[in-house]
Amino acid sequence: MKFQIEDVTVYFPYDNIYPEQYAYMVELKRALDAKGHCLLEMPTGTGKTIALLSLITSYALSKPSNPIKFIYCTRTVHEMEKTLSELKLLHNYQLQHLGPAAKILALGLSSRKNLCINPTVVSAENRDSVDAACRKLTASWVRELAAENPRIPTCSFFENYEKSASEAILPPGVYTLQDLRAYGKLKGWCPYFLARHMVQLANVVVYSYQYLLDPKVAGIISKEMQRESVVVFDEAHNIDNVCIEALSVSVRMQTLEGATRNINRMSQEIDRFKATDAGRLRAEYNRLVEGLALRGDLPASDAWLANPALPNDILKEAVPGNIRRAEHFLSVLRRLVQYIRGRLQTENVEKEGPVAFVASVNTQAGIDQKMLRFCYDRLHSLMLTLEISDTDEFLHIQTICDFATLVGTYTRGFSIIIEPFDERMPHIPDPVLQLCCHDASLAIKPVFERFQSVVITSGTLSPIDLYPRLLNFNPVVSRSFTMSLTRDCICPMVLTRGSDQLPVSTKYDLRSDPGVEKNYGKLLLEMVSVVPDGIVCFFVSYSYMDGIVNSWHETGLLKEIMQHKLVFIETQDVVETTLALDNYRKACDCGRGAVFFSVARGKVAEGIDFDRHYGRLVIMFGVPFQYTLSRILLARLEYLRDTFQIKEGDFLTFDALRQAAQCVGRVIRSKADYGMMIFADKRYSRHDKRSKLPGWILSHLRDAHLNLSTDMAAHIAREGIKEEGSQMIIKVAVLDLSIACDST
Amino acid sequence: MADKQQQVVVKRARHKSSVKDPGTPGVLKLTKDRFTFMPNDPSSPVKHNVEFRTIKGHKFTKDGTKQALLNLTQDQGGNYIFEFENFPDRNVCKDFVASAIALSGEAGRTVPEKSAVPIQDEQLSAAEMERRIKLLQEDSDLQKLHKQFVIGGILSEAEFWATRKKLLEQNYSRRPKQRVALKNDMWSTKPLADGQSNRVTFNLTPEIILQIFAEKPAVRQAYLNFVPNKMTEKEFWTKYSRAEYLHSTKNVIAAAAEAAEDEELAVFLKQDDMLVNEARKKIRQVDPTLDMEADEGDDYMHLPIQDHGLPRNDNKDVLDSQYEPYRRSFSQHLNQHAAVVLQGRVIDVELGDTRSVAEALARTKHAELAKDASDVYLDKERLERISRMTEIEDLQAPRDPAVAPLSIKDPRDYFDSQQANAFSTLGDTVSGAKQLKCSVSTREAYCSLKECISEIKFQGLTEPTINSEVAFKVLNGLAQNISSNKYHLGRNPNESVLDSLPKITREELLLHWSSIQELLKHFWSSYPITTKYLLTKATKLKDAMSQIYPKLQEIKESVQSDLRHQVSLLVQPMLQALDAAFAHYDADVQNRSARSGERPNGF
Repeated sequence: MKFQIEDVTVYFPYDNIYPEQYAYMVELKRALDAKGHCLLEMPTGTGKTIALLSLITSYALSKPSNPIKFIYCTRTVHEMEKTLSELKLLHNYQLQHLGPAAKILALGLSSRKNLCINPTVVSAENRDSVDAACRKLTASWVRELAAENPRIPTCSFFENYEKSASEAILPPGVYTLQDLRAYGKLKGWCPYFLARHMVQLANVVVYSYQYLLDPKVAGIISKEMQRESVVVFDEAHNIDNVCIEALSVSVRMQTLEGATRNINRMSQEIDRFKATDAGRLRAEYNRLVEGLALRGDLPASDAWLANPALPNDILKEAVPGNIRRAEHFLSVLRRLVQYIRGRLQTENVEKEGPVAFVASVNTQAGIDQKMLRFCYDRLHSLMLTLEISDTDEFLHIQTICDFATLVGTYTRGFSIIIEPFDERMPHIPDPVLQLCCHDASLAIKPVFERFQSVVITSGTLSPIDLYPRLLNFNPVVSRSFTMSLTRDCICPMVLTRGSDQLPVSTKYDLRSDPGVEKNYGKLLLEMVSVVPDGIVCFFVSYSYMDGIVNSWHETGLLKEIMQHKLVFIETQDVVETTLALDNYRKACDCGRGAVFFSVARGKVAEGIDFDRHYGRLVIMFGVPFQYTLSRILLARLEYLRDTFQIKEGDFLTFDALRQAAQCVGRVIRSKADYGMMIFADKRYSRHDKRSKLPGWILSHLRDAHLNLSTDMAAHIAREGIKEEGSQMIIKVAVLDLSIACDST
Repeated sequence: MADKQQQVVVKRARHKSSVKDPGTPGVLKLTKDRFTFMPNDPSSPVKHNVEFRTIKGHKFTKDGTKQALLNLTQDQGGNYIFEFENFPDRNVCKDFVASAIALSGEAGRTVPEKSAVPIQDEQLSAAEMERRIKLLQEDSDLQKLHKQFVIGGILSEAEFWATRKKLLEQNYSRRPKQRVALKNDMWSTKPLADGQSNRVTFNLTPEIILQIFAEKPAVRQAYLNFVPNKMTEKEFWTKYSRAEYLHSTKNVIAAAAEAAEDEELAVFLKQDDMLVNEARKKIRQVDPTLDMEADEGDDYMHLPIQDHGLPRNDNKDVLDSQYEPYRRSFSQHLNQHAAVVLQGRVIDVELGDTRSVAEALARTKHAELAKDASDVYLDKERLERISRMTEIEDLQAPRDPAVAPLSIKDPRDYFDSQQANAFSTLGDTVSGAKQLKCSVSTREAYCSLKECISEIKFQGLTEPTINSEVAFKVLNGLAQNISSNKYHLGRNPNESVLDSLPKITREELLLHWSSIQELLKHFWSSYPITTKYLLTKATKLKDAMSQIYPKLQEIKESVQSDLRHQVSLLVQPMLQALDAAFAHYDADVQNRSARSGERPNGF
């Protein structure tokens, strides 16, 4: 359908529109008009993504003289794929109604690992080795050598891409990663570099959060995005965590050992170059004297991760004299590694601020703050000079330099925590030094400054006033939408007691109580016998899930559950989890029905939808609090209290409940969908906890469903499914009639 | 004449393609279910091996005529003519054949000895025949009807099946045979320990072995490698059980220590490399909208410690990395198990033979992986699936109903019951009702329903749409009606009136009911009468029905008084339906005679 919002004609690819989608678009348009940032909460299952896409593309179409770029950030690659396929749908619709004028270029961008089509490169195991394998074939020095010596392997796709030079462009259209690969194969061009290049020209770019938030990545990918861009962070309820992680580094013993190896290797290389090609090192020195940390324009294939510090904070000065010489720099690194190793020897937990840390480095290792700040760029320059292409081997020293640069750059919002062992396993020494960022606003600040509109949106942003404080920005629009419903398509319940009427909870004292484990098992058993198709269960942590599943197995409960449905489980191995999910879907598709065990805050909870028959019921076992004894968390809580006056308890509850809401929200995707949600913990019945749930869940939570036991919940589920089933019967009846008509 | 006990008859004979043909000399061998003809000259192409099932009848020349011939007619129209050396030989064979045909007819399809109606015999393919036989074998009710009417000569074979085209077609589409799924039961590794000695016992059945092989390709591979060259089957399983036992104790270090000493045991204890490789292959086929592995490519933060505050303590109990391969998680096992069960029984091998099971599994796996690598079709299907998934269904105008057809074996089971009801109440008007337009296409039906629904939607704007309670009640009522009809038919043995009746009465009633149904169907379908053939058919049907009529009365009277009411309630609609048919028949005959008075030429 086509309609006006003020001066913009909106093209919407469906025949109908939900009222809240319309309202959402109106608010979004106001924010775009005002060229400001906005914060929008809209329940899952109301078609948020398509509303966003269709308004922003229509907005851009309506202003052809001043085209805006649309940068859409997703949490995960599979969400990127989903978004792009929705965009495809929309684009087709717009083409139908507007003709060629609606043509846009939209593409997803990911790392080499997901885009590379060179079979030898892509077979490498992880991203770093794929990157390194690519660099070995495409780095400028490798190609120079290959020009002279044809036996040195290069990548034909990259060579072809380079040869076609300016002709190598993507025709307008919407490209998923799959499409990019297919196009690359067709043309014989490297899809990765093609995509990197096209990002600058595209109308719509879909990529991961980190490409904007992590300064290391943003520095090479998103450097040249224009100011007239609309940046959207979808599923942004965890955005503060991503920001914090982008600026955090952790160093372990293995890192230090690896770093030492790296330093030794580099010093060998330096010796070799001194003997064979001394001019090269001299040239680097001269360049550094002139004040250039890096040679101006690097070929794209040489680009390494950028500086970990935020662009505004990077010192635009010449590299200090005492680390200009390669061997001097190496000895600085050696001293730094030695110093950190010394710090890790500690017996007690230590916590200090960056200022104190830098001072102590200065006195004990003789490295001043400025040298620390330049560590990363200096390392980068050295590695290019030494023509090192197996960068995946050098991650350790890179981590050390990341750390040094960050700790030298920032004085507030960070703390350094050294733990000699894990709190839960004091007998196993596992020292770790963590530089943790507490202030989420640091990483996102450049984004707010650089781009004219930033949209932060998710299904769960409650309480919505907290986010502007955490991220330190002023939205021009900040709204939370509720769901308009013609029927109850969700049915939340709070289960407080098991079948034996004893309270259930994952609270610390009750957690490993066999009675609670049994009650949880019984609950699931009741549900699998009542609810058709898919059921998803979320647990509070991997260890808890493993423990409880094992105990169900031992007591035979699991066997009984398996009488009804197949059981799949999330593990920390993503490959396995992905396959398990795929099989889970197949089991639901074929009517076999299945249960998926998953972890709140885990990867599945983060981005996998369990809509329609893939999830008729979701059970949240316990309240997914963070591990409250974690030093990092404690330090962050302290920082939040001091800077933003946010109480620890409030923040923890807010954080746990947003995760819970996120988990249960996975089951519903549209209003034609139906899903039940069980919050199985007595603590949900308390008002202070419950009230932190988003409004769209609360509005469906009846008073009668606030304090249920297993049998009552099973009864409600049975009734609910029956009622839902009666609507299904109508569908089936239609079908039956058609069969009848055929057969007579 | 012929010895009935005789199992095999072997006679010298000549096979002739026609009566005039001089024929090929050879030996004819008759067994209970087939006859074979072997020519004396082995190079001659005339060899036959035919089942009696396909033989419809036999003809023979009279004793004392020129040739001693036996002609076996096949139902496809072909025939086999044999000339015997003398008549006694022929007669022995003739009698044997006659009994054999009768026998095979009893087992499956019965031979219509005399076609009562002069209708062209259909040319049936063997496949068609087989399908019919299969249907008859599967459905005993159908078989009964078939016996009663076709063999009883009331209906011809063709007529009988003409009304069951749908049934035949359904089977024709050859659904994959349903297979028994694997049991969703994890072989619990809990060993049975008898408290006294240190012995631990594991129980292995062929079913469990199949499961182990399917879930653990490494064990399967090991089996193929080791047994029987390196060790016996028993040793193999002992070793396997030992490994399982070590795992169940969760003592990683002990497992590693044992594995170091015994390399065969190590195979079981280590992680399954084949599974890992398989997973790597499979991951490329996964729907990209849930491919979480791809995320790792974009994860530039090397932060293993923290995942939004989720403690990752599991990798914290760091042991030396040498033990790493011996760690095996229960979750992995769980996933693998479910995947195998989901895939179902992929092989069709007798379970007893362990080796062939292992080989068959290895083969299918291999084929599957090879296929995966180059399947463009899969890719396309995946894309389609994604695009379907992205759409928000309720905002979109409905597409073709994206539903799979229900697997109702015989929809008439469901609908005829209502139709039959309609017959009994409508009585004579039935022939009018038949003219109702029934051939609404799926599309049309769907559209009209859609219209209705949108109308409701439109009108329902003022007040909320249909009250779900009311809708539920209505549906309930409808369903109730259906189920009560069902038990009217007596197919549903649960708590029906029929249960209270004595068994004989009940069965008799059911039999009559289904035969009446069948007869009525044919009766009404022969109207309007336009040919002589239809007239004879209708008459025959009417006679058959009038034979049942008194039987029904009899039943009604024979039951005890306390049940009589219920029985008469059951019988009443049948009688009514019959009465209606008779009335119609009489009226028609009168009409006809009146008309034929005017037009002596008949039709």
